[in-house]
Amino acid sequence: MTGEAGKAQDIFQDTLREAAFLAAKGEPPPDRTWFFREARWRCLDVVAQGVQPEQGTNESTEVSPHAPEQIEQLEPEQLAIWISAAPEPQRSALALYYLDEFNYREMMSMLGLKLNELSRAIASGRREFQTWLNATVPAAAPE
Amino acid sequence: MKRLSRGLRMLAHCAPIENAKAPDRRMRTALSRAKRIEGFAAQQSFDRAVAKLVQATPVSSEIEEWFANEKMAEGAKRNWRKTAFHPAILAIGIALAVIAVVAWIKFDEQMHAFPGTATAKKLLNVAAMTRPSEFEPVQTEAGTLNDLFFMKYRLEHYDVPPEFSRQRTIGVRVFDDDEAGQVAQISLAEKRIQLFLFPARRDSKTGKPEEFQGWRYIEQEGWTGAVQVRKGVLFMAAVRGPKKDLAPYLSKPKE
Repeated sequence: MTGEAGKAQDIFQDTLREAAFLAAKGEPPPDRTWFFREARWRCLDVVAQGVQPEQGTNESTEVSPHAPEQIEQLEPEQLAIWISAAPEPQRSALALYYLDEFNYREMMSMLGLKLNELSRAIASGRREFQTWLNATVPAAAPE
Repeated sequence: MKRLSRGLRMLAHCAPIENAKAPDRRMRTALSRAKRIEGFAAQQSFDRAVAKLVQATPVSSEIEEWFANEKMAEGAKRNWRKTAFHPAILAIGIALAVIAVVAWIKFDEQMHAFPGTATAKKLLNVAAMTRPSEFEPVQTEAGTLNDLFFMKYRLEHYDVPPEFSRQRTIGVRVFDDDEAGQVAQISLAEKRIQLFLFPARRDSKTGKPEEFQGWRYIEQEGWTGAVQVRKGVLFMAAVRGPKKDLAPYLSKPKE
């Protein structure tokens, strides 16, 4: 999210320090989502001070049945770069969704989004990724 | 996915990548309906492929080191003492205790209730508020007053029970009360005890006086009353103080 390992490490350590401070006061973080929520806000703060991505309208295409084969040809770093270039809160929504560790309620809680906002972020993310995928890894022609 | 309702469509867009992870009934409903819709299978294949790629993302050794002491971040486990003294738990505990005490008091009141409890309690208030000057001075034994009540006020069976019949009186009054009817109030010299005689409550169906056995105690604002019913008339001895102040009179053998 920050684009820099150093900043990410600072945020990681600050988050843990905050958790330790709360635990020392007898109010430890209630669950693991607290860590993600806290770290995300810190990331957004840091990112807000840096260079901002250009806001643009991304083209979108319906998800293709051939997408799995196209995705198989990608390197993980390509996906990471694509997600990190998405605008907030879509970037966080996609990152959390594809980690496949949280249900939609946890994601809504961590991102402070309503269901329709989360749904829109993920659905449009899928379509935009498919557009990018079509441009980057064209699907094999049907036999 | 256009044939799904808007709510279910939104949920289907956030469908868990592994179906077994559906967190609630709404999501399970959305999943079962979405599976019948064209395009959902493609979405799931797409999501599984992306998730697989995410899982394959290498984590650098530098970042792995951050999590070397992962256990350190776990909050201190609460023991039962910490949990019990948590303000929320404490507040709930106190509230439950208060509810239990109030419920017990109400239950105890119900257990000791008798026909005429409300009237007797009202007369305890009367006892607390009556000034000595309101009594007509009568100095005699309480047991002899039944003749006075009958001859002067036509009050039949207004007899002071043997437990108090030998007590010396200092005053008497008879008054009408909305609830109790005609009430005879006697002031005794000893311990400023007051005696009340008033009609017992009548059964609405049979019209007969509602009776009960033995002495019943009631308490109200520092006053204690011992109540008995005989021949359709309730007798109450009232004293300012606890139950034990009246108990010695009631345990006396009948003469």
